[in-house]
Amino acid sequence: MAPPEPSATAIFYRNLGWLRFVDRFGRKGSAIVDYVGGLAELIGEAILDCFSRPFYGTEVMRQMDELGVKSVAITGITALFTGMVLALQTAYSLEAFGGKMFVGRVVSLSLVRELGPVLTALMVGGRVGSGITAEIGSMTVTEQVDALRAMAISPSRRLVVPRVVAVVVMMPVLTAIADALGILGGLAIAVLELRMTFQDYFTSILQQLSISDISSGLAKTLFFGFEIAAIGCYNGLQVEGGAAAVGRATTRTVVLASISILISDFFLTKLFLAI
Amino acid sequence: MSINLSALKDPTPATAPVDEPIVEFKELWKSYSGRAVLAGVNLKIRRGEVLCVLGPSGTGKSVTLRHINGLTRPDSGDVRVFGKSIVGHSEEELSPVRRRLAMLFQGGALFDSMNVEDNIAFPVREHTEKTPTEVAALVAEKLNMVGLPGIQRKMPSELSGGMRKRVALARSIALEPEIILYDEPTTGLDPVSSEKIAQLIVSVNERLQTTSVVVTHDIVAARTVADRVVFLHQGLFQFIGTFDEAASSSHPVLMEYFRAMGFPCGTGVFETAPKGV
Repeated sequence: MAPPEPSATAIFYRNLGWLRFVDRFGRKGSAIVDYVGGLAELIGEAILDCFSRPFYGTEVMRQMDELGVKSVAITGITALFTGMVLALQTAYSLEAFGGKMFVGRVVSLSLVRELGPVLTALMVGGRVGSGITAEIGSMTVTEQVDALRAMAISPSRRLVVPRVVAVVVMMPVLTAIADALGILGGLAIAVLELRMTFQDYFTSILQQLSISDISSGLAKTLFFGFEIAAIGCYNGLQVEGGAAAVGRATTRTVVLASISILISDFFLTKLFLAI
Repeated sequence: MSINLSALKDPTPATAPVDEPIVEFKELWKSYSGRAVLAGVNLKIRRGEVLCVLGPSGTGKSVTLRHINGLTRPDSGDVRVFGKSIVGHSEEELSPVRRRLAMLFQGGALFDSMNVEDNIAFPVREHTEKTPTEVAALVAEKLNMVGLPGIQRKMPSELSGGMRKRVALARSIALEPEIILYDEPTTGLDPVSSEKIAQLIVSVNERLQTTSVVVTHDIVAARTVADRVVFLHQGLFQFIGTFDEAASSSHPVLMEYFRAMGFPCGTGVFETAPKGV
């Protein structure tokens, strides 16, 4: 005799684990779509606001100082020591092949094409992205953002645009400084540790480094800066609750900004290599 | 005490029909997480009056207020301000209406990064072409009005709670709005500061000929400022009328609310001070 057909209830309970998984997956997916949609909306609004009046020039300058100039130390130190480590590692790796003379070339190329832009963006993402979220998040929970709206002033125009413009403008500048300091760090190791001359080091660099290497590295940072500022502002504006919510949003900004920098770096590198 | 809620479902305004409403709610609904905070409310606010929205915490008083300047959007129904609907419009489209309104937020919402002068001057610099001298004079005048002359250079962090609210009020009236929305203006203040704020609301309303909507659970302040009060409970305006009528009302919920706030209610025997005193 054939076994009895399982009831609908029995089938439901047998598959409950799967249903819960699908439910959780659906909720996560929906939250991600909501986030990306909201971020895209803010970016679109901010881009339109960039090209219409009023434009807060003074606020842009203030943000360039706050977000850019005050980040020179942290990005500079990072690049300086990265250049020194690169020189040491390159000399150690290439010594057996008599490749010490290539130290300048390796250090400069690695820094200018990849490490300078990415490390600068990661440091700025940590310092500036989190700062933007904390500041705008605090303004959101204390109703200052609502106060702007109530005064018929667009938070996008007043808060988002100056920060995005400031970070986008300052990122290539910070990266150029970081590249230079990294190369100088490599020089210090080359001269003091590896007993190379200034001339050998810089000749090696000039033989290899081209304008396109520098420009592709700097061009990437425009995108990185945009990502950092947009994510920072959006997370700040989305804060609901109190101080704990601001803290969580700040952490989310650092994580999302870092991931988006690393992912977009791959695609931008592919793009610039193809051009 | 048991409350007969069925008796409250169909509140009858205690005053005559309102003419010339400056703000009007029509069948306004708003829900959060499936709970109806506003369940089809209707209200007309007259030009020049001070209307107090009373009710226990968490009943949607602030939500009601935020519908007037479009900071919160209704699920359904209509909000008409200056005779025009503000529902379904973009932020940009709401700008002309918002310029004629001002809102005093619960915590003041002063901009931390600016001093008192810049805070008050902020909407003026944004929306007018006044010269720096004119702006400075206007800031001084508004600070005088709220009784805080000479504090232009102070930062918000250096001010007490009461002073912050008064500076926020100065900022609210900087553009001489036609309607001022007050969100819990006396919450967190000592009785003396609360009384000062209440007096200021009355004097600002009289001097600037504005319409004021005051959300509060402070009955003492409501008694000082209100021309009319509405009582919000369970998503509906359970009572609309003057403060004296509220005080002598036999609505069970209103009686319980007044009693909980330390006022005898339903007897009509307790004395109400004249407005502004």
